[in-house]
Amino acid sequence: MTSVKTHTIPRIYPGTPVKNTFVRAIIRHALLICVLFVLLYPLLWLLGASFRPNNEVFNGLGLFSENYTIQNYIDGWGAGSASFTRYFGNSLLVTVVSILGNLFSCSLTAYAFARLNFPFKNALFAILIGTMLLPMHVTLVPQYILFNKLGWINTYFPLTIPHWLGVDAFFIFLMVQFIRNLPRELDESARLDGCGHFGIFLRIVMPLSLPAIGTTAMFTFIWTWNDFLGPLLYLNRSDMQTVPLALNAFLDSTGQSSYGELFAMSVLSLAPIVGFFIVSQRLLIEGIATTGMK
Amino acid sequence: MSVHTQTSSPETIQSVLGSKARKRDWRKREVAVAFVFLAPWLIGLIGLTLGPMLYSLYLSFTDYNLLSSPKWVGLQNFVTMFTSDERFWVSTRVTIVYVIFGVPLILIVSLMIAALLNSKIAFLSGYRALFYLPSLMGASVAIAALWRQIFGGNGLINQILSYFGIEAGSWVGNPDTALGTLVVLALWAFGSTMIIFLAGLRQIPAELYEAAAVDGAGRVRRFLNITLPMLTPIIFFNALMVTINAFQAFTPAYVISGGTGGPVNSTLFYTLYLYQQGFAQLNMGYASAMAWLLVAVLAIFSGLFFWSSRYWVYYGDK
Amino acid sequence: MKWIRRSSGIAAAAGLALTLAACSGGAEGAGGDSQDGTGDVSGQIAVAWWGGEARSAKTNAVIDLFTAQNDGVKVDGQATADFSKYFDKLNVQAASQSLPCAVQLQGRQVNDYTKNDLLMPLDPMIESGAIDVSDIPKSVLDNGRGTDGKLYFLPYGAAYDAVGINTTLADEAGVGLPEEGYDWDDYMSYLTEAQESLPEGVRAIDSNGGRPNFFIGWTLANGKSLFNDEGKLGFTEQDLTEYWNMWETVRKAGVTMPAARTAEEPTGPDQGFFATGEVMSDTIPGNALTPATETLEGQGEGQEMTTIPFPSGPAGSGNALYPSGFAIPVSCDNVPTAAAFIDFFTNDLEAGKAFAADNGAPTNTKVLEALIADDSLTPTKKHELELYKQIVESDPQAIVFPPGYQATFESSFKRAYEDVSFGKSTVEDAVKQFFSEANSSLGT
Repeated sequence: MTSVKTHTIPRIYPGTPVKNTFVRAIIRHALLICVLFVLLYPLLWLLGASFRPNNEVFNGLGLFSENYTIQNYIDGWGAGSASFTRYFGNSLLVTVVSILGNLFSCSLTAYAFARLNFPFKNALFAILIGTMLLPMHVTLVPQYILFNKLGWINTYFPLTIPHWLGVDAFFIFLMVQFIRNLPRELDESARLDGCGHFGIFLRIVMPLSLPAIGTTAMFTFIWTWNDFLGPLLYLNRSDMQTVPLALNAFLDSTGQSSYGELFAMSVLSLAPIVGFFIVSQRLLIEGIATTGMK
Repeated sequence: MSVHTQTSSPETIQSVLGSKARKRDWRKREVAVAFVFLAPWLIGLIGLTLGPMLYSLYLSFTDYNLLSSPKWVGLQNFVTMFTSDERFWVSTRVTIVYVIFGVPLILIVSLMIAALLNSKIAFLSGYRALFYLPSLMGASVAIAALWRQIFGGNGLINQILSYFGIEAGSWVGNPDTALGTLVVLALWAFGSTMIIFLAGLRQIPAELYEAAAVDGAGRVRRFLNITLPMLTPIIFFNALMVTINAFQAFTPAYVISGGTGGPVNSTLFYTLYLYQQGFAQLNMGYASAMAWLLVAVLAIFSGLFFWSSRYWVYYGDK
Repeated sequence: MKWIRRSSGIAAAAGLALTLAACSGGAEGAGGDSQDGTGDVSGQIAVAWWGGEARSAKTNAVIDLFTAQNDGVKVDGQATADFSKYFDKLNVQAASQSLPCAVQLQGRQVNDYTKNDLLMPLDPMIESGAIDVSDIPKSVLDNGRGTDGKLYFLPYGAAYDAVGINTTLADEAGVGLPEEGYDWDDYMSYLTEAQESLPEGVRAIDSNGGRPNFFIGWTLANGKSLFNDEGKLGFTEQDLTEYWNMWETVRKAGVTMPAARTAEEPTGPDQGFFATGEVMSDTIPGNALTPATETLEGQGEGQEMTTIPFPSGPAGSGNALYPSGFAIPVSCDNVPTAAAFIDFFTNDLEAGKAFAADNGAPTNTKVLEALIADDSLTPTKKHELELYKQIVESDPQAIVFPPGYQATFESSFKRAYEDVSFGKSTVEDAVKQFFSEANSSLGT
C-alpha cells in the first residue's frame, strides 16, 4: 500500500462510466427507502405507541391515534425513586468508562497477537477464542461469588473493571483481524525511522485501525448501554440503577405494567446510541480514508 | 500513558546503535514488550475469567443446586444428557436448525447491505444509521411486545395477508413457524455484522480499485477480484462470530417466548434450555455440563474453521 | 514520507484514571444474631421484593415510614421487576451467602429454601413477641409454613385466584353470571352456551388446561390432594386425565381460544386476552382485576368485568390463597431489625394504607377493614378485597408446596397440556409424561 497522492479521485468504485446518473440515483433511493420502511415500521409503531395513553397502547397497528399525548414521557421520566435523569447519568458513566477500558485493553492485546512473537502465542490465542465459547450463564454464579468476595457488589466495578482487563475477547479478535490486514512494510519503515513497538502501535497501527476502533467503541456503547443482567445482579441501590433496569421496572407480570411509559423511555434510551453512532461513524468510518493515509 | 513514556527513551538510545545489532536486540526485546502489551488481558484472564470458567468445569461433574454445596457425581450429568433427557435433544435440534438457516442468511444480507452502503450516494450516513437502528433495540423489553404486534394472530403480517384474502393463524404461537420468526428477528437486527463488514470495506485501499478500473475491470469483477479477497479476514471473523452467537442464541427466544422455549419446545434453544436447567430448575451442575459440551463442539468447529482459513483467508501482512 | 497524523485519543483514553464511586454496601453491625428476633432495632438491612414501578413506589413509602419510626435504621430496598428474574437474582445471592435480610417469598417456592436450611423459623420470634400474628387468620397464616410445619415467611398480602367474567359480553350472550355455588360442570356448560352467541373472534375462555392454578382449584373442589406426604403428586393419573379431557372437550368445540393464540398470549394480567376483551371469562389473580379493568376501559368499547369465586364441588370451595410475605435468611446478621421490619410491614395500619393492598389483600384483618372503609380506594379495589373476605370466610385449605414445585410442576404441567392442545400428544401420554417429570424432581 502506498499513500494516496491526490484527493480528487473518487475513493470507492471510481471511474465508472455514468449515464442516467439521475435516474439511477432515484431508483436506488426508492429501493433503499422501501427496504427501510419495512425494516423500521416496528420502530415507527413503537414511536407512535409511545404517544398514546397507557391503556390504548396496544389498540391497533396504525401509527396514528386521536388521543396523542406526551404524558408518557413526562410520567416516565419522573418514575422511580430517582428520575431518569439519574439513570441516564449512571448509564452514561458506566458506558464511557467501559468504552475507554475496551479501547485500552483490547487494542494492546490485539497488537501483541497480530504483530509480536512470543512464547505460547498460539496456545494463548486459543485460550482467547476459548473464552468466547462458554455460555455466560454458567459463569454468572462463580463470577458473582468472586465479585462479592472483592466487595464489589453495589458498585460499578463489576460492570467496568473487566473491560479494562480485556474480558471482551470479541473485540480483541476483531482488532487482530484488522491489524493483520495491514501491510507489515509500514511497521518496517517506521522501525527504520526509529520507532519502537509502542511507537509503531500508536503512530502506525492504531490510526490505520480506526475502523476497528470505531466499531469497538460503537459496539461497546450499545452492549453496555443495553446490558440488563449485569446491572440486575450487581446494582441493588435504586439510585445506582442504569436505564435498562429502570425500563424493566415498567413491566410487572404480577401487577400493573406501564407500556406507554416503557415505550416512551425506550425511545429516549435509543437517542444516545443513535447520536453516538452518527458521530462515531462520521469520525471513524468516514475518517479513515482522509486522515489515515495521507 | 505512563507505560509509553517509560519505554520510548531506551528505544531512542537504540536508534543510534548499528542496524544489525539493533535488529537482534529488537527481537529479544519483542517478547518482553509483548507481555507488557498483554498484561491487562493476562491479569483479567487469570483474575476474572479463568477462575469462574474452571469452576464451572468442576461444577459440570457435580450435582449443584446453588443453594447448597456441590456434590461430586462424576460423569452422571453427561450420561443423563445423552441417555434420558428428551428435551436436551429437542434443544440441540432447534439450535442446529437455527444455525443452518440463520447464519448464511445473516452473513449474505449484511454483506450485501454493507456493500450497498459503501457506495457513493447522497444521505449515506443517514441511511447507515437507519439500517443500524433495529439492532440498537438489542434485547430491549419492548421487543417482545413489538414482535407480537407483527407476528401475532391479530398482528401486522396477518392483517396484510387478510387484505389479500389469506387467513393465517398466529406465527409466534404456531410451533411450525415460531422458530422462523426468530430467524427473521435475527435478520432484522443484522446491523452489528453489517457494520463490521462496512469497516472492513473501508479498510480496502482505494488505489486497488483505481488500478482495476484502469485495467477496465467491471463492477462484478472488481467485487470478486478485489473486494472479496481483501475482505476475507473480516468474512472469516464474521462467519465465526455469527456462528458462535447462533449456537449460543438465548435472548431472542427468552424474550419472545417468555423464557419457556414454547410453543411445544419449538424455540427451545440450547442455551435457553441450559438456563432453564441452571436457574429455573436449579440444576446448575447439569447446566454446566451442557455448557462444556457446547464448548467442546464449538472448539472443534472453531479449530476446523481456523485450520481452513489458511486456504481461503488472505491477510495483508503476508 | 509523512503518513500518519499523531493520534492522541488513545493515549488520553488509556491515561484516564478510573473515577468511580465505590460505595460498598454490606451489613454495618448492630443487633445480635438472636433466634427470637429480640434486640436492638438499628443498623442496616436489605429488603428484596418483586414488582414493577408502581409496587416499588408503595414499598418504598412503607420503608420510609419504618425508618422514620426507628432512628438510625437504614433499609436498602432491592426491587426486581420481573418475577422469574427476581428468583434468579435471589438464587445467585444465596449461592454466595449474601441474601438480603428480608426476602419476599410465596408458598410456591419457600420449601426450595427451607430444604436447604436457608431460612430461619419465625415461630420463636412470635413467641418472644418480636412478630405479632394475632390479627392474621390461622388459615391464611398457615400458608407460610414449610414442610416441617414451622412458619418460614410471614404472609402480608394474600392473593387468590378468581374467575373473571366480562359482564358486558356475558350479558350480550344472554348468560349473565354463573349462579352462586356453581360447580365445574356448570361452568363448562355456561361457557359452551355463551360461545354460541358471542361475537365473531371472541371466545368464551382461554385454552386453560395448562394453568396450574385452575387445576389446583379443581382438585380442592373435588377433594383430591395435590401432594402426598413425601411431596410427590397426591392425585392419580386418572384424575388428571379426567381434568384434561374436560378441557379438550371445550377446546375442540371451539369454546376456547385456539392453542396457537394461547401460546402467544402475554403473561401480564393487564395484557392477557381477558383484559383486552378477546375472551369472555378466564382465571385471573384476584388483585389483577384493577389493572385488567383499566386495559379493558382503554379498548374504548365500554365493556365491564368482575370477579367471582372459583367453581366449587363435593368438597366445597375451590379457592386457594397464594399469600406473599417476607422471610428471614439464616445468613442475616441483623435479625432484630429484620423481624421488626416484617412485623411493621404486615401489621402497621399506616404501612397497610401506604401499600394499598398492592400485592393481594392484607392478611392483617384490621388493616383489611381499614382499607375497605377507606374512601380513597376505588370500587374495583374494594371488590377485590370484599371477594377475599368472602373466600377467607369459607376457610380455604392451606397448601404446602413441596420443594421443586415452582421449578418443575408449573412448567411441566403447562408443557404437557400444550402438547395435547397442539395435537402432538394424546391426553393419556401427556399425563404419563407429566407424572414422570414431576415426580422425578418434586420433594427431593
